[in-house]
Amino acid sequence: MSNQMSKATPLGVLDQRMLRKRNKMLRRQPTLAWYLFLLPTLLGIAVFMIYPLAESLRLSFTKGADERFVGLQNYVSVLESGTFWYSVYNTLYITVFQLLIAIPLGFIIACLINNLRRGSNFFKVLFYLPNVTSIVAAATVFLALLHPDGPLNYVVQLLGFEKLVWLSQPLSARWGAIILSVWHWLGFVIIINLANLQAISSDYYEAASIDGASGFKQWLYITLPNMVGSLTVLFVIGWIGGLQRFSDAYMLGGLQGSPARSLHTVVGFIFERGFGGYEYGLASAASYILFFFILAFTYVNTKVTKMKI
Amino acid sequence: MLSATGKGKLISGVLFLLLLGLGVLMLYPFLWMISVSLERTSNIAVPFPPRLIPEQFSFFNYKLVFENGVLFKTYANSAIISLFSVILSVSSALLAGYAFSRGEFRGKKLLFFAVLATMMIPFEARLIPMFSMFNDLGMINTKYPLIFPAIINALGIVLVKQYFDRLPEGLRESAKIDGANEFTIFFRIFAPLSGPITATLAILAFQDSWNSFLWPLVVINDQDMKTVPLFLSSFSSENGSRWVGVTMATAAMSILPIVIVFLFLQKYIIRSIALSGLKGE
Repeated sequence: MSNQMSKATPLGVLDQRMLRKRNKMLRRQPTLAWYLFLLPTLLGIAVFMIYPLAESLRLSFTKGADERFVGLQNYVSVLESGTFWYSVYNTLYITVFQLLIAIPLGFIIACLINNLRRGSNFFKVLFYLPNVTSIVAAATVFLALLHPDGPLNYVVQLLGFEKLVWLSQPLSARWGAIILSVWHWLGFVIIINLANLQAISSDYYEAASIDGASGFKQWLYITLPNMVGSLTVLFVIGWIGGLQRFSDAYMLGGLQGSPARSLHTVVGFIFERGFGGYEYGLASAASYILFFFILAFTYVNTKVTKMKI
Repeated sequence: MLSATGKGKLISGVLFLLLLGLGVLMLYPFLWMISVSLERTSNIAVPFPPRLIPEQFSFFNYKLVFENGVLFKTYANSAIISLFSVILSVSSALLAGYAFSRGEFRGKKLLFFAVLATMMIPFEARLIPMFSMFNDLGMINTKYPLIFPAIINALGIVLVKQYFDRLPEGLRESAKIDGANEFTIFFRIFAPLSGPITATLAILAFQDSWNSFLWPLVVINDQDMKTVPLFLSSFSSENGSRWVGVTMATAAMSILPIVIVFLFLQKYIIRSIALSGLKGE
């Protein structure tokens, strides 16, 4: 390449045109290389994203093994199905309480850890440990914790209440799922909050200290406003993840989300119809409905993310 | 002045104890799991009142798990699947991240947007066609459906791009003057410099793969091909609340590898979670 350059220079007038041509060639040559770098990812997107999405859309308009076209019938069936709406209700119920408990609690614990002089890393590890384990293992442990003779009932009795058969009543079963999900997710909330707390400039606190603001006032007027953005992001991330909840509810409630379908989630509905009943069309329609729900919240999330962090 | 630091120390001490209490509460399910798994009589009845020191200490439940041996088969399955998933997702993310960081080519913005868009698509929307596709290829009950899809790693691409963006452009220019092409530059200069981000991506991918449940549940039903979470799930649902001791021993064994990885690499893991969470995934 450098040889070509030295040959081109003495040609005077032609020089400019040749240089331009050469630059063009130089730019074009690596272009192909860049596409090769992207090849594995693009291949993956085509095969495991675009094709399945298109196929899922097509299936959502068909019925039966012969895949005959039925228009919007599957969508209507899903939206008219009481089972579907009950699964939506369960999903939202568990998710709303999971977020309402885990986000404030995680935020407070993160603030406490942030105020420690030493040992903050120790606590990060301690609180994050449940989150690295699979939800299946966590739920297996909770199945035993929720046993009528388990530790949770022991606490219930210590507080002077009657023993509960947790997984036999819809309300207590859902709360069992909520406790499990809060416990499993709390570490994540703490880590994200800590990362944001540490990103707040210490100048603010120094200035406030000089002005004589108390620790609580500093928390109220400096920490809290600076955390609104990331708390909102956590809410949206948790919401999107919550809409997709399956494993925890499936582990506690099985395929039908027992008791009385109170642990049947939207993904559980898709799974049961698709792989239990082989109703691919109906399940695909339900998954597209879920997809649009999630898309809407992801859109909100990108707006919020731009706003802060 | 002295009293102020004294007061600060006291608050700090109280804070530490408070957090320690909360931390023990957080770990309680695991501590109790281990305690029950070490209790000789726990398969007859759940130990009541709950205790953390077993009354009849014994490795009996672990012995049963070891003698059964199925857990180790599932360990091997999970290990192979995780290893190849990690290799595939990390290498594809490094390659694509490099192209998006340094490349100039037609459609770059559009392709990057396409990559980002994949993060917004829930897996459930692709579940049934993915199953049919692998079914048509005769790959149900094999490791392939659990490995191949790892090739798309949108979050990894974003993280690699940002990592490479911070490296000086001079690295590339001098190599280019020496006549190196993009592949040489990538493999000789950028890939060797990508250690920290590679570690981060590898951990995220390992965790994803080792803990994955819904997709394995769909594509694996052969006992011999099960992954660790699948085995644990079927074991606990088949036995209900009987065999609590053995179930807890199995659960403890199932989380052991990821807990060990976590304790050794916690610095990287916590950083990677903070990074990935802040990207709004």
